[in-house]
Amino acid sequence: MDLEGKFRELMERKEGAHMAHVYYGDPREEFSLRLIRILAESGADIIELGIPFSDPIADGPTFQAACERALKGGITPTKCIDGIRRLREEGLETPIVVTTYFNIPYAMGFEKFLEEIKNAGAHGILVPDLPAEEAKPFLKLARRMGLHLILHVAPTTSQERLKGILAEASGFVYLISIEGVTGARFKGRKECSAMELIKAVKAQSPIPIMVGFGISVREHAEAMVSAGADGVVVGSAYARIYQKSLDNPYRKIDEIARLAREIKLGCIEGYRNRC
Amino acid sequence: MVRLTEKGRFGKYGGAYVSEILMQALLELEESFERIYPKNEFQEEFHRLLRDYGGRPTPLYHARNLSRLLGFKVYLKREDLLCGGSHKLNNALGQALLAKKMGKKRLITETAAGQHGLATVMAGNLCGLETEIFMGIKDMERQAQNVKKMILLGAKIKPVKTGAGVLKDAVSETLREWAECSRTTYYLMGSTVGPHPFPTIVATFQRVIGEEIRQQILEKEGRLPNAIVACGSGGSNALGAFKSFLEEPTVRLYFVEGGGESLTAENSAAAFRLGRPGVLHGSLMQIMQDEFGQIRPSKTRAAGLNYPGRGPEISYLCEIGRVKPCYAFDHEVFEAVRTMGRAEGLIPALETAHAIAYVLKNRGEFRPDDIVVINYSGGGDKDIETILRHFYGS
Repeated sequence: MDLEGKFRELMERKEGAHMAHVYYGDPREEFSLRLIRILAESGADIIELGIPFSDPIADGPTFQAACERALKGGITPTKCIDGIRRLREEGLETPIVVTTYFNIPYAMGFEKFLEEIKNAGAHGILVPDLPAEEAKPFLKLARRMGLHLILHVAPTTSQERLKGILAEASGFVYLISIEGVTGARFKGRKECSAMELIKAVKAQSPIPIMVGFGISVREHAEAMVSAGADGVVVGSAYARIYQKSLDNPYRKIDEIARLAREIKLGCIEGYRNRC
Repeated sequence: MVRLTEKGRFGKYGGAYVSEILMQALLELEESFERIYPKNEFQEEFHRLLRDYGGRPTPLYHARNLSRLLGFKVYLKREDLLCGGSHKLNNALGQALLAKKMGKKRLITETAAGQHGLATVMAGNLCGLETEIFMGIKDMERQAQNVKKMILLGAKIKPVKTGAGVLKDAVSETLREWAECSRTTYYLMGSTVGPHPFPTIVATFQRVIGEEIRQQILEKEGRLPNAIVACGSGGSNALGAFKSFLEEPTVRLYFVEGGGESLTAENSAAAFRLGRPGVLHGSLMQIMQDEFGQIRPSKTRAAGLNYPGRGPEISYLCEIGRVKPCYAFDHEVFEAVRTMGRAEGLIPALETAHAIAYVLKNRGEFRPDDIVVINYSGGGDKDIETILRHFYGS
């Protein structure tokens, strides 16, 4: 199922979307494959498959450590793309968005990279260090190849730029909820800026909004979706769980599945609270 | 929206590859710099501080003994005599003034050799701005004296433990911090790297080095030099020295990077030899990386040259052949320190000694009637323990 289909289906079911972000290969490939399948079975509507990078400047400590471990374990972009292929061969139908810092596709050649992930079974690509201005040359290319190049908006985005970004946005818009980096935050969240931004985007565009950065519990998901977001992104909160048991991360699978179900419930309740 | 991209390009290099969170801060910075920098009021204050506080103009010194040794005329542009001991103050003063005019309350930056951190806290104090400095733990160890100086001046030091605990990691951490506080805090970039408009701003504030060289050499020799040699990684002292001569085809420009122990991966910082174009810390530039685009750690004894990327403008100038990329190995650098000490009684910074080492080793590239200017970017006080340990053991 593609992204449009997924959002349509969720709207009919009156549910917010839950996108689960996994850095592939942390700590090992086999674990990531299992983790992704479990997340998809436990309420993740979209999988954000991260390709580990040596210098993840938009990521907080949890995902920095995840990248470092995965790279030490010998993960490469090629193996990540093979992972998508394996997931598809095993019957995973959940839409997949590939997340990668720009130097990875740049090194392979952006067009070839898009071709590879498309052939493997991905639906979109998200590049945290590629703002709309720099994305320009690649937007058409992605569209032509039938892939969504996901753009970001943030609380610091000006009205003028917001308009420009929404005009180019494809698939969904990734709404960065806070000024900072990725990572679970449980206290002291300033949610007002995200709420205002959700409203501003909603007023200008029908494109689905996925809210990420710092989303880690059911209440966050519920608050964002009830404010009008189409869904939330949760990543570091999952990594935090299995990081406590790196020698045998499989022991934490049940706990991760529980959190995924909780997040999904938040997405459902949030949607129902809207009206 | 296109404006930023076109403006911040040097050939294919440059750009602004950052998180959406930082785009507004970069646009604000570009607009503020273009508006504030040309104003008389700003220029007067900047030049007053460069002169009365910094000690500009710095001398262009005819190093007679070194010249005799080499067989051609060598001048040293004495940036080590700038207050703080290196060229870094030029840029720090300019940007701190800009930050103040923009209404920012706090400066953040990263430092490797400690020279830029030191210059930043000096400039921050002058402008009444708080200063917080990110520094890799490995660099804190080898530049301990500068760390103490920065603390004495009131800077808050944030040790960076991620990665190898060196400059690359400190830059990443400062960018992360900036994403949290870009509305109130100014990132005072220390070299001609990072997203647009930083490379342009830093080069503009460092341009004074070359402007002085030009005037001074014309006064002393009545003609332009045949060559200018500068060390670098990001490229700020080199671009500062080169900018006034880019349109002078008779002036050869040499950029000396850190060769490290040998020209092999993991043992060098020679990105022009070992790297290729890629994106790191917001800019497309020459970078040391593996076949998949993962950034490779750089290695050199000179902390200030230990960065896997070359700034976008120097990347471009080397690509088009205007600047010749060169390198010097660690052992040659220590020898250059000794030679300089014996010949002129000066102890250069390990970074600066790269430029000297290159000229010593490749003296055959210069003719007897050549005039060669070495940008003497900083003094060796900060490295004295490392240097003594190298020659005399611990």
